Amino acid sequence: MLLSVERINVAYGHARVLSDVSLNLDKGERVFVVGRNGAGKTTLLKTIAGFLTPTEGKISFAGETVNTLRAEQMANLGVRYVYQDKRVFTRLTVRENIQLAAFAGNEKLDVAIDRVVQIYPKISQFLDTKAGGLSGGQKQLLLLGRALIGDPKLLLIDEPTEGLAAGIIEEVFKVLEMLKGQVSMLIVEQNLAVVRELADRVYAMKEGKIPAHLTDKTDIRDNAVLERYL
Amino acid sequence: MGLLPRTHHGAERGGEGMISTIAYGLTIGAILYIISIGLSLTFGTMRIVNFAHALVYTIGAYALASSLPFFGGSFVLAVIFGVVVVIPLAYLIERFVIRRLYGQSIDYAIIATYAVLLIGVDACKWVWGATPLSVSDPIGTAWTILGVDLPVYRLIIIALSLLVFVVLELFFRRTVVGKVVVAGLEDKEATRSLGINVDKYFSFVFILGSCLAALGGALYVPITSLHPYMGFQVLLLSFAVVIVGGLGNMRGTFVAAFALGLVMAVTGRFWGAASETMVFVVMAVALIVKPIEV
Repeated sequence: MLLSVERINVAYGHARVLSDVSLNLDKGERVFVVGRNGAGKTTLLKTIAGFLTPTEGKISFAGETVNTLRAEQMANLGVRYVYQDKRVFTRLTVRENIQLAAFAGNEKLDVAIDRVVQIYPKISQFLDTKAGGLSGGQKQLLLLGRALIGDPKLLLIDEPTEGLAAGIIEEVFKVLEMLKGQVSMLIVEQNLAVVRELADRVYAMKEGKIPAHLTDKTDIRDNAVLERYL
Repeated sequence: MGLLPRTHHGAERGGEGMISTIAYGLTIGAILYIISIGLSLTFGTMRIVNFAHALVYTIGAYALASSLPFFGGSFVLAVIFGVVVVIPLAYLIERFVIRRLYGQSIDYAIIATYAVLLIGVDACKWVWGATPLSVSDPIGTAWTILGVDLPVYRLIIIALSLLVFVVLELFFRRTVVGKVVVAGLEDKEATRSLGINVDKYFSFVFILGSCLAALGGALYVPITSLHPYMGFQVLLLSFAVVIVGGLGNMRGTFVAAFALGLVMAVTGRFWGAASETMVFVVMAVALIVKPIEV
């Protein structure tokens, strides 16, 4: 088991956001979390990523309890969080964005650039462009590429296709497909077409809980089943 | 006692007087820049209003004055000593005061760092006394430019501030550490998600900023007088520079420091009593045009 989340509770002040949430993920798996806005999906990813600490429960990664580790420590263990709101460093160039990830991941810049180019070849034309000038789709692909630097073990990807045009969703889809087997992924997604095609398993979230866990491909491909949780 | 240099007489007449005023304005701007850049970076990176910045400025000045005899009167060595001596002090302030205030209400930072300043000022009084001291111009010569005698020391201060600006620009744009700080300024959480301990780099920036404040204090001693309260006034002016230039905006701080230095000098030439007031008028206008969020 690569990741195990056991009955965690998470609160913002007195407001409990996650209640008794459990999930797990094996090496190489691509697991999706679906649910309505406000269901607690992003909070779940941020807690696993180390930005929030559960008040109760246990999170284990690669056999180690990581409840109290900070985000930078989790990243150094190989857990990378990919933001939903395309948060590249806008004042730095694309090359510099990659350079920071290479610096943190202890990887040579050329190797790091190659990794990003591999998943998004067109990025090589924009290396010296300020990242703030990229389109939403380009930013998303840069974020995905940047997260792959330094050999991560688990990607926590928050709504990768949100707000993107159909053509770019296709590109993001291909990247997620290409990464299967290379790295484990826990993906929050509301685009059911993407979930149906790519999910190995699906956790459905509602009001801070996980009421359903879909492991059967027939259920996952059944729109009616997934839509119950959206 | 005003920030305008001791020898600046605002009532000179004619074009030569104005050239002299502008030169003094640039000197003040240069000093303000060197002091303010650290404050701006601390404000921009940590969202902490650091009143203790005025203490390291004062310590830098006293360290220079006290160490001059030990270095055989070598002003350069004494300045270097003044800068180096604040490193452990800045580290202690960051480690035991500032670091506990990350993410807390800005009010706590104001109260805690102001307390550090007050304790430090009293310590200065205890060590050096409250009587103002002075250090003479280490160069003592002037160049005549457009018929006006301009002290070489002040021209060197202006050149040094330009050098500091260029070095900081190169540091933040060309080095990985500089880029980490730029990224952390924009989005600390996203920088952490890469696996970078941003606070470590912000601590470095804090110490760097403190060293620059000490440099400003040491360089300013021959122009002004040295007393335990010298930091209070420069602190307010530095905050004005930081606010007008934009929090954490390094180029903005540079432009604002020189602009406000000139505002002070030109106002002082025609209405000495209003020279510093005008700086805060400019700050108020800047806040109205572009309010800050803290």
